[in-house]
Amino acid sequence: MSLVVIDGLSFALPLFIIAVGGIYSERSGVTNLALEGLLGFGAFTGGLFVVLTSGIFPQGSQTPICLSFLFAAIGGGAYSLIHATLCVKFRANQVMSGIAVNILAVALTGFFTYQVNAGVFGSPSDKFMIGVSPRVTAPGISDIPVLGAFFTNVYPFEIMILAIAAFCWYVLYRTRYGIRLRACGDNPQAVDAAGISVAKARFGAVAISGALSGVGGMCFAYSITANFSPAIYLGAGYLAIAALIFGNWKMIPALGACLIFGFARSAAYQVAKSLEISSNVSDLAMSLPYVLTLLLLAFFSKGNRAPRALGEIYDKGKR
Amino acid sequence: MSEAIVEMRHITKRFPGIIANDDVSFSIGRGEIFAILGENGAGKSTLMSILFGMYEPDGGEILIRGIPEKISSPARAVELDIGMVHQHFTLVREYTVTENIILGDEPWKRFLGLLPYVDVKGSEAKVSELSARYGLDVDPGRLIEDMDVAGQQRVEILKMLYRDAEILIFDEPTAMLTPAETGMLLKIIENLRDNGKTVILISHKLREIKRVADRCAILNRGKLIDILDVPGTDTARMAHMMVGRDVPIDGRSTEARAPAADFGDTVLSVDGLAVYGADGTMAVNDVSFTVRRGEIFAIAGVSGNGQTEIADAVAGLAEVQSGRISLNGDDISRSSVRARIGKGIAYIPEDRQNVGLILDFPLGDNLALKKYRTPPFAGGAMLNRDAFDAYAGRLIDEYDIRGAGCGRAAVRGMSGGNQQKAIIAREIELGADLIIFVQPTRGLDIGAMEQVRCMMSAERGKGKAILLISYDLDEILMCADTVAVIYGGEFLRVSPVESISVDEIGRYMMGVTEG
Amino acid sequence: MKGRAVLKSLSVPAIAILLSLAAFAAIVLLTGKNPAVAFIGILEGSGWLPRSGYPLGSGQLTDVFRTLDALTPMMFASLAVAVAFRGGLFNIGVSGQMLFAGFVSTVTIGYSGLPSSAAFPLVIFVGASSGALAGGLIGLLKCRFNVNEVVSSIMLNFIFQYVISFFINTSYIDPVSRHSAAVGKDVCLTLTDVFIGGYIFRIPWALAIALACAVLTLVFFTKSVRGFEMAAVGKNTRAARYAGMSVERNILVTMFLSGAFAGLAGVTYYLGYYDSIMPGTLSPMGFDAIATASLGNMHPIGIIAAGVLVTSLGQGSTYMSNIAGVRPEIASLVIGLILLFSACSYYIKYRLEGGAALRVGKKARGGKMAMNTAAAENEALEDGRSGKEAGKT
Repeated sequence: MSLVVIDGLSFALPLFIIAVGGIYSERSGVTNLALEGLLGFGAFTGGLFVVLTSGIFPQGSQTPICLSFLFAAIGGGAYSLIHATLCVKFRANQVMSGIAVNILAVALTGFFTYQVNAGVFGSPSDKFMIGVSPRVTAPGISDIPVLGAFFTNVYPFEIMILAIAAFCWYVLYRTRYGIRLRACGDNPQAVDAAGISVAKARFGAVAISGALSGVGGMCFAYSITANFSPAIYLGAGYLAIAALIFGNWKMIPALGACLIFGFARSAAYQVAKSLEISSNVSDLAMSLPYVLTLLLLAFFSKGNRAPRALGEIYDKGKR
Repeated sequence: MSEAIVEMRHITKRFPGIIANDDVSFSIGRGEIFAILGENGAGKSTLMSILFGMYEPDGGEILIRGIPEKISSPARAVELDIGMVHQHFTLVREYTVTENIILGDEPWKRFLGLLPYVDVKGSEAKVSELSARYGLDVDPGRLIEDMDVAGQQRVEILKMLYRDAEILIFDEPTAMLTPAETGMLLKIIENLRDNGKTVILISHKLREIKRVADRCAILNRGKLIDILDVPGTDTARMAHMMVGRDVPIDGRSTEARAPAADFGDTVLSVDGLAVYGADGTMAVNDVSFTVRRGEIFAIAGVSGNGQTEIADAVAGLAEVQSGRISLNGDDISRSSVRARIGKGIAYIPEDRQNVGLILDFPLGDNLALKKYRTPPFAGGAMLNRDAFDAYAGRLIDEYDIRGAGCGRAAVRGMSGGNQQKAIIAREIELGADLIIFVQPTRGLDIGAMEQVRCMMSAERGKGKAILLISYDLDEILMCADTVAVIYGGEFLRVSPVESISVDEIGRYMMGVTEG
Repeated sequence: MKGRAVLKSLSVPAIAILLSLAAFAAIVLLTGKNPAVAFIGILEGSGWLPRSGYPLGSGQLTDVFRTLDALTPMMFASLAVAVAFRGGLFNIGVSGQMLFAGFVSTVTIGYSGLPSSAAFPLVIFVGASSGALAGGLIGLLKCRFNVNEVVSSIMLNFIFQYVISFFINTSYIDPVSRHSAAVGKDVCLTLTDVFIGGYIFRIPWALAIALACAVLTLVFFTKSVRGFEMAAVGKNTRAARYAGMSVERNILVTMFLSGAFAGLAGVTYYLGYYDSIMPGTLSPMGFDAIATASLGNMHPIGIIAAGVLVTSLGQGSTYMSNIAGVRPEIASLVIGLILLFSACSYYIKYRLEGGAALRVGKKARGGKMAMNTAAAENEALEDGRSGKEAGKT
């Protein structure tokens, strides 16, 4: 039971931070199906940093882990500018741009991982081995039955995610930038009339979604996959999109959706494991979060209200 | 006139093939209400767009407070304390009044002296104070999506005042308002002047200009005809100068009307209709009426009171919650859109670009949009493309539709007037017994407007039943035989148009039933 | 007039290809290799140029037919994308539908031991109909439950991937290859080991069906009543409903058709190009097909040309890797870039066409160009004309 909570959280929270990125982008009016590619590219740059600097930092130092998240954010943010440029400047179809960015991310990161491994380490491989993040347990609280599991064997990045998410909420709902960003997704003409650049606000929003996705991708690299490899593209970006649609483009409900996905996933795992049936069944268990997502979307998509200007190309000339 | 606050000298603005403003010069004094009068397409809006920095003039100069200024953007105009209320409001619908007003210039405080945050509460006080000073009566905490058109317009005015604008431009501000709301707006405009603001009022409605304006510039086809002192000029003269010929001042048409007894059989009969709106609330409640052959039955009302839902319900685009709709005696309440088209309903929708047309389709395909399945356009499962071309060619000639060559070009590139003509041509050619017109002349220039009204009246003459929905009271008075006034989804009054006064209609439009 | 229009429509893909190849060259240069060698390597590897030497029993034609063998499912997959796009939908679940159709056909017909004469039509039929069901499910979710088709098709991709992996691993696994057990030669839609003139060939006869489908799709798009409705729904749902069309039915038909093409791609891939299924993986072809279809401007004939290009890139990459020392993954990189640049088609077109309008627009709006300047000017022009004519009368 507690394993369900522990594993569930470690999947749900990275998913959540990616969904928050998606919320930023979509609340500004830019459809973002590129989350999958963004998280992969972020994890790639973070992983690249770790393998390139291995040996520089003393054994057991936490500095490379912290810095790798920073680099993942920078990488994801920088890469997302492709999507931003296509959608905001080049007026591309936003769905197609997102798919292009995803396909390109898989190809780019795969190619360069090989190149770096071959060129720097002389061993062509499609993985950056970066290991698993250490876990922490809060003494005392963790002994409480059931609830204690939320404080047991927690990855430090989970705490970081909660802090970042709180800050993101504050920025989106309480600051000037957030007010302008959300206005862009509702009526960009109003923002333009107020003398603010819609393009800049949207560029920023997409870049933030890239940075947050990068952080989320790095979390997966440090936990589920324990490396950077093509395995990082396990569809979390799309799950995050489902979560934000399901959460009606709001942060707290999206967190709920992520938790449901996370716990469903870990619960299915544990059930499959405890029944001690053939390992093949784990494939069935793996499909569970996706089935659940599909069902939830089918039941709860009817009354959804997307941001009014979502996917609309903003035309300054149009009044 | 006091000292000039705005001077426009020899302003010329050309678009390819047309001169929108031709050497226009005038100056506006501080603290006056200056009207710019002209028909649609006379160049009023272009002229003011230049003043507000949305276009650059090809020639001439602008002086603000005596200093030559190059107004390159609306932002620059705002810096010069110029504000503008456009016809299409630029409001964030999910935000409150205050949030909309402070957008772009948000005051902030620090939480615990650290985290900066936007001070919405503090701004609300300032908005309240402004609202009270100019008699605007706006609740700063309300959501825009919960407000009516007149309320939203007052928010736009507050937006200008919040930015300390001194020169306020209003672009056709009364187009969507009821007579009472218009009266209130004109009072606000006078209030603004009395508080030292300079107001520029773009309008083609003489009555309003006569009521509030101090001076008035008259434009015709881009040229400045004259500048008049409004109190000393009679409206007939102004109208003559605006149009270039004599026009009846009273909106009511002089053409003889068929008396009620001459209407033919009932075509459309609506009985106890109830429809839910898009937001799930009751939009139309227990509405009953009939439209007979040769009758133009008009529904008057402020936009958003259930008119669109009635039209959609009759056409089959909105679900009938309860009640009965019958066409020529057949119950069609549950019929599909296609079945209703087949039975004889034509529909010119309000949103012509998003509903009435497929902008990326060629004109020919749009003209055949309701006929493509039947011969000669289709034989079995396949289309006969030649028939599309021939049909387009015929309608382009007959209805004078321009801008799409022989029908192969997309309608996106056509002007609004021609798009509307294409829709009307398509619908009339259906030969339906009932034609629904919703806002048929909105945004059209005066030539196209006349053409559209002629077409409508010709169909009436052919014995069609016509359901006209318009927010423009003048249009209803001009065209309708019978008028129903809708408020909050209910008919407050149905009457032959000759036995109801403008004031009465106006009162009902505001939901006032007694006195 | 018509010739010029065709040329014009070709200019955008041409620019997308040129930009992608330039990026390709830059990346190859960056890794310290010669881009010309890499480029020629791709052409040689895919059979368009003769190699310096061939293994016994192979020749340039062997390579050409191998490329055509891969082109067959790619054509179907791209048609699937194009049909959905025509109806206003993005089918990014082509890979999942391919897998589903391939799996269903494999277990029903593939292992049946039927003779070719019976098996071929059955494989085609089962493949198309199971693909259509999978696609139709996405359509159903969209029109019944308002589920975004992109999200639902991705979810279905994963579900198919895992569930089919489970079935293969439990029942159909070949313990040596770790793939599903190979289907019989009689069932395989590609004729393998055909010897002509001492050379060995693979003959993908279903390519003829694919080409016929492309032509039929074009006719369907331009000449059929259903195609007209589908495009109307795709361009403007509200207007289509207003005109009396059933939006729901059209979405269903669109996804049904798109899924059927994806199913045909699946059988020509898993029971043609390959003869087995690797559990737990999706073919990248469904995604490459998006690039192919958009490079072909979603036009069935354009797709043929784009398909040849994209398939050749993939097929030539291994050989290129051998002779130029560049990793074969660069092929998918180029495919990704092609998609990226063709997504910018609007902008490229605008830059190409809008030169004149752009200059006028700049003047009019003080440098703030707006894409619908042309439309606005057109409108002004129209009004001006009608104004003038009104003046005459």
